[in-house]
Amino acid sequence: MQSHDELEPTVRIREVKRDRVNFVLENVDLAFANSFRRVMMADIPTVAIDMVEIEINTTVLPDEFIAHRLGMIPLVSSNCEEAIRYTRDCTCLAGCPFCSVRLNLNVSCHDSHTLDITSEHLELIPPNDRGQWDGEQEENTDGDELTKRPANFGQPVGKNEPGAPPVLICKIRKGQELKVKCYAKKGIAKEHAKWSPCSAVAFEYDPYNKLRHTTYWFETDKRAEWPVGDNGKEEEPPREDEAFDYMAKPNKFYVEVETDGSLGPQEVVMRGLAELQAKLANLILGLKPQPEVDHAEQHANGVSHEGGWANPAGGAGAGAGWGGGGGGGGASTWGGNEASSSPTGWQSTSPSGGASSYGGATVASGGWGSPAAQASGWSL
Amino acid sequence: MNAPNRFELFVLEDGEKPIEIIEDTKIPNAATIKIVKQDHTLGNMLRAQLLSMPQILFAGYKVPHPLEPYFVIKIQTDGTITPQAILEQACNKLISTLASLESKFNREFSFKDIESGNTGATAGAGNDPYGTGAANAGGAWSQGRDYLDF
Repeated sequence: MQSHDELEPTVRIREVKRDRVNFVLENVDLAFANSFRRVMMADIPTVAIDMVEIEINTTVLPDEFIAHRLGMIPLVSSNCEEAIRYTRDCTCLAGCPFCSVRLNLNVSCHDSHTLDITSEHLELIPPNDRGQWDGEQEENTDGDELTKRPANFGQPVGKNEPGAPPVLICKIRKGQELKVKCYAKKGIAKEHAKWSPCSAVAFEYDPYNKLRHTTYWFETDKRAEWPVGDNGKEEEPPREDEAFDYMAKPNKFYVEVETDGSLGPQEVVMRGLAELQAKLANLILGLKPQPEVDHAEQHANGVSHEGGWANPAGGAGAGAGWGGGGGGGGASTWGGNEASSSPTGWQSTSPSGGASSYGGATVASGGWGSPAAQASGWSL
Repeated sequence: MNAPNRFELFVLEDGEKPIEIIEDTKIPNAATIKIVKQDHTLGNMLRAQLLSMPQILFAGYKVPHPLEPYFVIKIQTDGTITPQAILEQACNKLISTLASLESKFNREFSFKDIESGNTGATAGAGNDPYGTGAANAGGAWSQGRDYLDF
């Protein structure tokens, strides 16, 4: 792992198609590459049908069967970050145009032939000018999500596109009918796999098994029964007499991301990287003690002021947290010489903010974020 | 039906703290950090990054139970830095790695766009079959980052 530190990660895209991208990732850690794979599969939000109101179902399939099939249909979800909210974050009760997409399905068969109900029959119901659906209770919400949606947002993937076979939902005969209202919501694949933008992610490293991360089961001849794949061309085949390098680490990864069409391959990859960064950023934010927003700014001023401030309560109980980020410069809003003044110029939102006061130089001055600071009760 | 909501796997409850730090009383410069609503995706990546840093004596993570959505990461340093601080450093390092990878992907994708644009209109359209949204989003990325890379 240490060896990767000097080397910048590189990426080479071998192929981009409308639904897939194949790339080689180099000089990264196995754990890093795997996290990237995991995040693309499970943490990227898309929209999928999540609630189905069945009005008429005289088909041979039971309601839940059809509801499940509807949920699995991939819907166009480009720009999902901005174009739709999670219903749990929305002010509405169970769903409104800002946090869901409505689709109707209304098919009946009047011929003596079998009729296929497919995703082509799903009809997107756009909200009206007030951002509401006609004929439903109006929710008091406002937001700019609707303007950020592409025209086909929420449409089944491949609808009205020649050469894209639609998804079969049910077959009906003469006299049968299916009438349902569907609400598509935003979600991630950790909740249900229908929200995954990827239909498959291929991930390979070490095609010759030089690292011996796997053992091959075989009948008679290992070589013949386990042919090396195409990725083998990218690497040097091991010599017959090559000794096993037990310190070797994988650093070249062959990845192919295949999407279900709800997002393009480029969007999946870029969102995946962004999502990982967001996870890490949240962790940093969580590491800083609670009132990080106020204090990070204040703290930027005068780390090394004499006097410092004493924390009479001591211990973690005082809870007044100070963001660790340095920076500095600018006029200090609190100086060491007004030792007994009230704490103006900075506010603590922590529950026990009152416990903090300016005091004499009783505490180790400076050294914020150092082990010394921690010993005096600032949880950093 | 007493199954917990599945979004509880990744959404913090009201007032729930994302991180809990338990300092080790028996080992010097060590701490166990419990990170709530995260899984192997973050845990393993952090562990690997921490192990690559010279100040680290020990770093390991575990998900104690597959049904409980948290992991714990145990860190021991050589005393020049606190476990919390080095964890923050590791995060920052990973973010910068991801950012550089992001710009490299952008550049690679923009090259591929140009290539397919030259080969014919159908191929160009094929790269963006999902309408204007993907094109807008893609455009924003390439405009936002690309020229910086050159």
